[in-house]
Amino acid sequence: MNVVEIEHLTYAYPGADSPTLRDVSLTIEQGDFLAVVGNNGCGKSTLCKTLNGLIPQFITGDYRGRVSVCGLDAAAADVGALAQKVGYVYQDFENQIVRPTVLDDASYACLNYAQPDYLERGRQALAQCGLQGREDDFIWQLSGGQTHLLALAGVLSLQPEVIILDEPIAQLDPQHADRIYAVLRRLNEEYGKTIIVIEHHTEYIADFCKHVLLLKDGRVQWKLPAGDALQRVDELQSCNIFPPQVTIAADRLRKAGEYHADRLPATVEEGCAVFAPRARVAPDAQAQPAPRGAEVLRFRDVSVSYRSVKGEPHRVFQNLDLSIHKGDKVALIGSNGAGKSTLMKLMVCLLKPSQGEIYLNGRSLRGARPEGLSREVSMVYQNPEDMFIRDSIEADIAYAMKVRGLPDADARTQALLERFRLAGLRSRDGRLLSGGQMRRASLAIGIALDPGILLLDEPTANLDIATRKEIMHTLEDMKQVTETVMIATHDMQLVCEWAERIIVLCGGHVVADGPRDAIFRDRRLLETVGIRPPEIFAMGRALEPGAACYTIDDFVRRFTGRAPGAGVQEAAV
Amino acid sequence: MKTIEKLSENILDKLSIDFLRSQVLKNAYGNNDTRIAAMDPRMLLVWYLFFGLVPWFVHSVPFLIGCFLLVAVTTWMARVAGLVLFLFAVGVFSQTGYLFLVTLLFGGDASAVVPLLTLTLKVATVSLASVTIFSGLDPDKLANGLMWYGCPERLSFSISYAYRMLPLLMEEFQNVLLSYRLRGNPPAHDTFGGKIRYLVYQVQIVMHAFYPLMLNTAKRSRTTVEVLEIKGYRYAAVNKEVKKIKLSALRLTNDDLLFAAVSFLWVAVAILIATLV
Repeated sequence: MNVVEIEHLTYAYPGADSPTLRDVSLTIEQGDFLAVVGNNGCGKSTLCKTLNGLIPQFITGDYRGRVSVCGLDAAAADVGALAQKVGYVYQDFENQIVRPTVLDDASYACLNYAQPDYLERGRQALAQCGLQGREDDFIWQLSGGQTHLLALAGVLSLQPEVIILDEPIAQLDPQHADRIYAVLRRLNEEYGKTIIVIEHHTEYIADFCKHVLLLKDGRVQWKLPAGDALQRVDELQSCNIFPPQVTIAADRLRKAGEYHADRLPATVEEGCAVFAPRARVAPDAQAQPAPRGAEVLRFRDVSVSYRSVKGEPHRVFQNLDLSIHKGDKVALIGSNGAGKSTLMKLMVCLLKPSQGEIYLNGRSLRGARPEGLSREVSMVYQNPEDMFIRDSIEADIAYAMKVRGLPDADARTQALLERFRLAGLRSRDGRLLSGGQMRRASLAIGIALDPGILLLDEPTANLDIATRKEIMHTLEDMKQVTETVMIATHDMQLVCEWAERIIVLCGGHVVADGPRDAIFRDRRLLETVGIRPPEIFAMGRALEPGAACYTIDDFVRRFTGRAPGAGVQEAAV
Repeated sequence: MKTIEKLSENILDKLSIDFLRSQVLKNAYGNNDTRIAAMDPRMLLVWYLFFGLVPWFVHSVPFLIGCFLLVAVTTWMARVAGLVLFLFAVGVFSQTGYLFLVTLLFGGDASAVVPLLTLTLKVATVSLASVTIFSGLDPDKLANGLMWYGCPERLSFSISYAYRMLPLLMEEFQNVLLSYRLRGNPPAHDTFGGKIRYLVYQVQIVMHAFYPLMLNTAKRSRTTVEVLEIKGYRYAAVNKEVKKIKLSALRLTNDDLLFAAVSFLWVAVAILIATLV
């Protein structure tokens, strides 16, 4: 049975020149787990919003064609009736939560639709999302992943047949992302819900989804079973979708004539059957540890605690000792709440340690003010919107230089706009830019004063994969500009490709500190801290316990396709 | 001068937004387990109507002292956050306390105390009664209480939504403020003049920071508005059934009756004493 039937749907936003969706025809079967993929702006979110009637009932525009969901005509049926058939979880899901406490929010929709057992329904939805026991918590007590689950529970409480999620895991660390997908799988398999996700993370598509729908320029390219869809590496990449690293590696080997199996693998398990180590391995170019520069930052015996709303202050660090040297390219990793942001705030003097000393270039930060440090340390927030304090990005970049009366402020602003490819957007308000542009603007603002030390909080969070690649490229480019850079991140691909030194925080302590080999080869450490290396690293490990492939290039250098019908013996060079 | 100096040093440091935030949160969410918080909002609103209005029209000092003592106890019971009490003290002083100082300065004597005391007691009683209700009750309950008395649903939704947004807004405001601090170039503040300029600069920053905050909030609210639509907010606003379900959670308990009785008795005794004196 089809839960969704779309016939010749064409839709243009009010005032838009060209339609966002063009002649879309599509059916989705009941019980499907569908991933919608496509370039930025190809109409994914728009398509999903036609399913619950928001388009055209709430957002008008030029709408032609027919959308039917569970037998209801989405353009004509009551939005309330549709909401009980189709649930929608937004990408910016925090804004979806409108009530102060957990149970209240989960049951809010049921209350509004006058269901007398609304609390019971809310509780049931929370249990389905694994949030039982948190009913009476305030929403700001939840972590990012739990907040997402709550947004899902709020939608689920009406027990809709179709649930749509817009980029469910873009902001989450891998543990939370796994949890979300485990919940979705349960909803799909146990409760028979039809799940539609807009998703860029093809690893998750490979593991969880049944079908993939590719949209391009508002048109449906195809809808295929997930396994077949991920075989189309070139087509996906042309739409800025990056198949799993394992698939890309196999595709690369196939193009070199070294891969002989019919299908490309999509997961590590499938990869085990089709890859084999090369007989002779070109020795890795051993990265020589660069000589350590002078010490620029030093934490001595630092303890920090936060006030909390109730009860004892929350202690973040206890007796922390750490040195950062000139020229270090540090990645700071650790689970949510391990103290990454706190450490950065200490460095720019936004927080004072309750005990201990911090030295910047040999000078104690006790009594220093953030205003006085801006030329030595600069910080770029996780949320770039909070960095836009003027009405154009040009004014934003120039601000710190202008207020200091630097003579070459204008020239330098121009140079930065060029460097970060923002020249055409100079007069736009930062908030109105796309994710990647916003991020580039915030980086330009961060290095405007040419600081010796640059701190970046999650520079690749919340970006789709194509934009993320672009930002990673920008960061690589910035290595030449700024001497010492520290990045706090969950993004292990970024860590592997960019960092020269990795500091692992856990429970308020530095539990490991060293180059990537020291961190990623330490299996026990990875398990205790909950770090997940990139998929390609795991693939290498699964084939050969001693392998350490951080990038697809590393992998292809070391492994090749297994010969047809052969064991693990050969490899042409 | 000392104060100005202190204020200039402190405004962004000691009295940091972080501190404000924790106090506001404490006030809004931190005391939902007190006796006052557990009471029926309808009863408390009636109680407040009495202690918020009657003191203005009575001039008997014993009666006012009686009322003041009672609301002082309820404020204590509501475990109101320190900042609110501090603001209360500043408020009362700015209303009447300084008058007493001025009187003394211009050759007045202690006889000025009695009329001033009456005014101070009135202001203090009414303020503490407000503090008890608005800070002791959790905003959602307050909203439900107001709705029961026929206030429009939109008002009660706004109250609880404001409290839901408060932590987010404060965090965002803090971040925007930090942007100004990290990138700004404050005037030197070694001299007295410099300190004044620094104070002005800081106040300016706080005001400037509202502009990005507004824009960020506007950006957020797009999703929220759509979600309210889906979650049936508009549907509920016109549906009598929903209101009935919402208000069915309100229940008068023995505690409420006891509280009302004790308040009533106390006021009666105060009136008795006032007539005897």
